[in-house]
Amino acid sequence: MTDATYPQYRIISARFLKPDTAERLLNRIVEIGGIRRMSINGPSIPATVPYGPARGKPNPHPDRKVIHIGDQELQLRVQVGTILLELEDESPASAMKEACDEVFGDLGFSYTFQQGRYMKTQPTMSDYAKYGPDADTMVLGLVDPKRKDRFTVVQGR
Amino acid sequence: MAYKPQYGPGTTQVAENRRKQMNPEYKLEKMRDITDEDVVLILGHRAPGSAYPTAHPPLAEQQEPDCPIRKIVAATEGAKAGDRVRYIQFADSMFNAPSQPYQRTYTECYRFRGIDPGTLSGRQIVECRERDLEKYSKELIETEMFDPARIGIRGATVHGHSLRLAEDGMMFDMLQRCVLGEDGVVRYVKDQIGEPLDRAVEVGKPLDENWLKAHSTIYHSLVGTAYRDDAEYVEYVQRIHSLRTKYGFMPKEE
Repeated sequence: MTDATYPQYRIISARFLKPDTAERLLNRIVEIGGIRRMSINGPSIPATVPYGPARGKPNPHPDRKVIHIGDQELQLRVQVGTILLELEDESPASAMKEACDEVFGDLGFSYTFQQGRYMKTQPTMSDYAKYGPDADTMVLGLVDPKRKDRFTVVQGR
Repeated sequence: MAYKPQYGPGTTQVAENRRKQMNPEYKLEKMRDITDEDVVLILGHRAPGSAYPTAHPPLAEQQEPDCPIRKIVAATEGAKAGDRVRYIQFADSMFNAPSQPYQRTYTECYRFRGIDPGTLSGRQIVECRERDLEKYSKELIETEMFDPARIGIRGATVHGHSLRLAEDGMMFDMLQRCVLGEDGVVRYVKDQIGEPLDRAVEVGKPLDENWLKAHSTIYHSLVGTAYRDDAEYVEYVQRIHSLRTKYGFMPKEE
């Protein structure tokens, strides 16, 4: 991990977002640029029923769908509730807040835009013990580095 | 002097709603119509129209042991017929759902017979004989104890009661058993354990925010009535807490 400290932000909506709204919001944010890392959080929507008598059966869910962010397709696996951002510097933050104001303006519920520490900036002792010295530091603390599917790289404008 | 139950303390609307639901003499307001077949479909325990599978022969066909309790307690219809024991489980959103797990258990114990409720933080399950269950379920779904958006009928994977609501006001459901249609009507597309239904089951339109706030049995300082606003309720809980703590030391009069 680099020595520099990058500013981190999070956007929390008062209600969970539908995939279309999440797509609109994320596209507005990505257009502004200056993002190093981004993570979309929320409760999981599994592809199959995880437990109970119907365990293992397919779980068709209208909100588990592919959205397009920038030039990339992204399979949503969660109902979007929180967006974590790590920016190159603080300059795009105000434009992002304005983009949020615009998107949430028509939705009828509020959101919060906060600056703080929301992602790991360096591997912890347990990360080292679990994943070894070669773990990809860009995704540490955001996703399980042992997952087979990789994170999505959204190219600039 | 005959004992007259008070059902619960409190001076707020929430406390009043709790008492109303628990009081079997209060007739719960009917909000929607659900057919018997719809209830059977949502429960998912048997195919609609099929006979009730049995766990034992009907009571009339078997010799019952000479038991004083059996002479006092009349068997329910389901027990008489020897039905299996089956369940319905509800998850209630903290955002002003009309009922909540503890409330459900109290209410059912006052209103229904032959039940075995299980109370958890975000969900409540009630088990009983199958044909009794269908009757009770219908009552629980049709009356003011149910809201299509804030309450889910969920046999498994119940997560969602303490989460934010979705954009359209529905409680989060990992399995999306019920869907809010464009016409504003909520339909169950899966049964309570998440298996797709052959046809969607309508459970009516979600109730509006003001109605929910006026009929909720949950204290919530952000979206409804704050618990601390009900001084009588707080005093009662503090009294119980204090008494049980003191009793933990087994006080003895000298």
